[in-house]
Amino acid sequence: MSARMAEPVLSVRALEVAFMASGRPVPAVRGIDLDVHANEVLGIVGESGSGKSVTSLAISGLLPPTARVRGSIRLGGVEITEADHETLRRMRGVDVGMVFQDPTTTLNPVFTIGRQLTEGQIAHGRLRADAARARAIELLREVDIPDPAGRVIQYPHQFSGGMRQRAVIAMAMAGHPRLIIADEPTTALDVTVQAQVLSLLARRQAETGAAVILITHDLGVIAEMAHRVAVMYGGRIVESGPVEQIFARPRHPYTVALLRSLPRLDGGAARLEPIPGQPPAPSNLPPGCAFHPRCAVARDRARCRTEEPGLRACGPAHLSACHFVEEVPAPSLPRESDGAQPARPAVRRDSEPLLTVENLQVHFPIKAGILRRRIGWLRAVDGVSLTVHEGETVGLVGESGCGKTTTGRAVMGLVRVTGGRIRFGGRDITALGRGAMRQVRRHMQYVFQDPFASLNPIKSAGEIVAEPLRIHGLYDEMGGAGRIARLFEMVGLSPGMMGRFPHEFSGGQKQRIGIARALALEPRLLILDEPVASLDVSIQAQIINLLQDLQRELRLAYLFIAHDLSVVRHISDRVAVMYLGRIVEESEKQALYATPVHPYTQSLLSAVPVPDPTVRGVRRRIVLEGEIPNPASPPPGCAFHPRCFRASARCSAEAPAFLPYPGLPTRAACHHAGPLIPAPGAKHPQEVA
Amino acid sequence: MIGYILRRLAQLLPVLLLASVGIWAMVYAIPGGPVGMILGENATPEQIAALRAELGLDRPVIVQYWAWLTNALAGDLGVSLHSRQPVVSLIGERLPATIQLGLAATVVGLLIGIPVAVASALMPGSWLDRALSGWSALALGVPTFWLGILLILLFAVHLRWLPSASGYVPFWESPIEMLRNILLPALTLGIYVSGIFARFLRASLVAELRADYVRTARSKGLPERDVVGRHVMRNAMLPFVTIVGLMMANFIGGTVVTEAVFTYPGLGRLLITAISTRDYPLIQGCILVILVIYILINVMVDVLYAYIDPRIEYA
Ligand SMILES: Nc1ncnc2c1ncn2[C@@H]1O[C@H](COP(=O)(O)OP(=O)(O)O)[C@@H](O)[C@H]1O
Ligand code: SF4
Ligand code: SF4
Ligand SMILES: [Mg+2]
Repeated sequence: MSARMAEPVLSVRALEVAFMASGRPVPAVRGIDLDVHANEVLGIVGESGSGKSVTSLAISGLLPPTARVRGSIRLGGVEITEADHETLRRMRGVDVGMVFQDPTTTLNPVFTIGRQLTEGQIAHGRLRADAARARAIELLREVDIPDPAGRVIQYPHQFSGGMRQRAVIAMAMAGHPRLIIADEPTTALDVTVQAQVLSLLARRQAETGAAVILITHDLGVIAEMAHRVAVMYGGRIVESGPVEQIFARPRHPYTVALLRSLPRLDGGAARLEPIPGQPPAPSNLPPGCAFHPRCAVARDRARCRTEEPGLRACGPAHLSACHFVEEVPAPSLPRESDGAQPARPAVRRDSEPLLTVENLQVHFPIKAGILRRRIGWLRAVDGVSLTVHEGETVGLVGESGCGKTTTGRAVMGLVRVTGGRIRFGGRDITALGRGAMRQVRRHMQYVFQDPFASLNPIKSAGEIVAEPLRIHGLYDEMGGAGRIARLFEMVGLSPGMMGRFPHEFSGGQKQRIGIARALALEPRLLILDEPVASLDVSIQAQIINLLQDLQRELRLAYLFIAHDLSVVRHISDRVAVMYLGRIVEESEKQALYATPVHPYTQSLLSAVPVPDPTVRGVRRRIVLEGEIPNPASPPPGCAFHPRCFRASARCSAEAPAFLPYPGLPTRAACHHAGPLIPAPGAKHPQEVA
Repeated sequence: MIGYILRRLAQLLPVLLLASVGIWAMVYAIPGGPVGMILGENATPEQIAALRAELGLDRPVIVQYWAWLTNALAGDLGVSLHSRQPVVSLIGERLPATIQLGLAATVVGLLIGIPVAVASALMPGSWLDRALSGWSALALGVPTFWLGILLILLFAVHLRWLPSASGYVPFWESPIEMLRNILLPALTLGIYVSGIFARFLRASLVAELRADYVRTARSKGLPERDVVGRHVMRNAMLPFVTIVGLMMANFIGGTVVTEAVFTYPGLGRLLITAISTRDYPLIQGCILVILVIYILINVMVDVLYAYIDPRIEYA
């Protein structure tokens, strides 16, 4: 890359950031060096708390006053660590633009998009107020927002999530900054929208030649976008290098471990290899190499425990901070062959399923006005059929708002069912009374994304796990405190932790407690609603493995609700894909991922970023247009037709039936179901459909 | 916008109607009823029957209510049992005074409360913040009669700058006299609400300052005065206008103590007198007027709210 020769746009040296906490500095960033050049995307990857966001805020001079900064940050000839407020302000929006994570909160709800797009440039005196409207329209056009002239006077709430993030990108680029910092820009977005926003970001980067720092925890996004990668751990960069190197031949044990712990769309069914323990808190960093308590290479050597390794060259432009770089194993990513899963009793499909859902409908009234009159129905679930057998895992995937959680809650009897049937354990439970439903719930339990959000923070973990037993009056009968201790052991927690309170647990441990609580009554079915969505990659693998072990030992059936297609692929036997309240395709896992026949499944799968930079540009990608419509007014006919690359006239008139697809163990709801046929020379499958 | 206001008003009509039933029915809540009130305990049955007929109390309930309602709508709220004057004119004398005081007190409260809130929210935890929070606590904690007396002692008795008894002087007759008369009661009430205003606004400013959009605004290079003065302030105003409206409504009829201290001719004292003399037409009239104003202020707050927050549609 010729740009490498030129002066870097941003140059960070020995950056340290500490926050004062109860009178003592807590180091969040501990000495990092970075260079970013024009025309370059630097990816920063790391788990939560590793210091990624603090680094980005330091670069833009946006750290809170409680932060203590040392070292050097040079951006466009200005030393940021020494600059006064006014200099920093003049630099923001001109030399550096920022894109933040959650587009629902990064825009001010009470000002128009147009105003927010241009007010920065007006404040900098680079845009006259009377030219602002025209400029805002131009900016919106540059990020592909349809009808920019109409949109510019709208407010953020009138934009969808993806459009908001486009607007934020336009805002960050409004002043043609040399550097763009995007901190988790797509983490809050659905996968099809993520694909749109990433390709927009890549396009605008190429058009403007800006340097980009892309911060994310998602290795797939890094592989897809970055030219160079910096891996952060415990406030430091532990490895950096060209993206191909980082993925093909990582030279730090942490990077290797991260890649191994990842469930992958292109991986096998092999057991995941979690990283033991959890990421360190800055207030409590291990001495020596911060990674040593979790490192597979360290083997308890004194040097790792006492001496912090510095970054050393281990290849062309490739640095690693490890005393034993030579011993770092080749990536040998988990593939079909290695680390096989312990065998599990076969699922018997000939008997009656444990759970049968037939044509389930849940419609919520939409109310308006002071008298809360009903003005319509929101069809959250509109004809869902699925079965779960004893000991089986059925994955339910779909983008946000498609009705996954409502389906799970309806099965639990937590929302009123509008139509259809639910059978559980040979019994119709569709309209059971409260008492009878409570008995049924003994045998099926719900696990939330964050089990503690809805729980009493002043109860101890032991009490929380015991609660279902007490509610059902079975505490003593089922073994009392001894039972609780056994449940703790089952989920890999020490019974000594029973007396602790929720805030004393990490995210992964909280989820273990949630699972222990769900297991207390010896249920037969667990409904797991995004159980790993808010966990870091390394912890996610621990929980997935735990769930698989428990299933094997206890012959549990799982209804596994998630948006992450890789995780669902890893854990499920069968998978159902939902769109706008309906299941559009359902099949055996292998068939669904290898030969999807519904256009939505096909798009969804192609939108997932794969952590392999060598497939960038090679892998076929269907970028869906638009976003999920409002379930209160679904499009007529096939609800997917406005976004479907195969849609015909019939699709907008007639809703497709959910039918078996010949030759595959698949059912799909599509008039034109069929595998993707790559045409010779065609880049996108839609060109041939 | 106009349509929205009309619709909001229309939506509140049922509330008003319901309330009017309640107010009218109060007649029956007074021990002995109005007849007993007027004739005393030793009346003969004939006297009672005659008065009942005269007052129309022998008619069916619905007819009585309808008569009362149509009269009220026509601006006739009956005659005070005590002073024998039309209730409408009694209230009419007091209402402008009450509205003037309420507005003046609100202005004082905002003039003190907003700067205090902004200053302390910008430096949470600082000595200034602590000092200003102390002020708010003090403003809320000091009883109004005590503060009123203190102000009278200082400004009227000791310094002799202002009158100790405050009369009602319409603004358009003599702005100076009006200010001289209203300053002390307005200060008394204003200082009290400034404590409430400052607390609420500070809390909502502090919360808004942590919001993501503030970071976005700063990342664009906006000067801090725009970040706070425009972005943050506008959002923080949302919960605040509700509180201000509530307090203003509270000033209509709810300022008896201050009125008593300054012998100010407000609606609050009229109502208290009416209650203590069981002057039921006057009680009904006062409560009805207070209720109508309360509803009008509510509509105003709603309109303002919708104006500030684009997420609320004029629909
Ligand atoms: N304003 C702050 N005050 C104190 N600690 C902070 C502050 N901002 C971040 N931290 C701490 O700094 C560490 C690194 O945070 P961050 O950079 O946000 O991590 P990442 O973005 O990699 O998830 C975390 O432990 C976080 O709690
Ligand atoms: S220095 Fe030691 S503990 Fe740290 S990564 Fe290398 S081998 Fe592991
Ligand atoms: S029915 Fe038509 S619109 Fe719907 S998915 Fe199939 S091809 Fe697309
Ligand atoms: Mg972060």
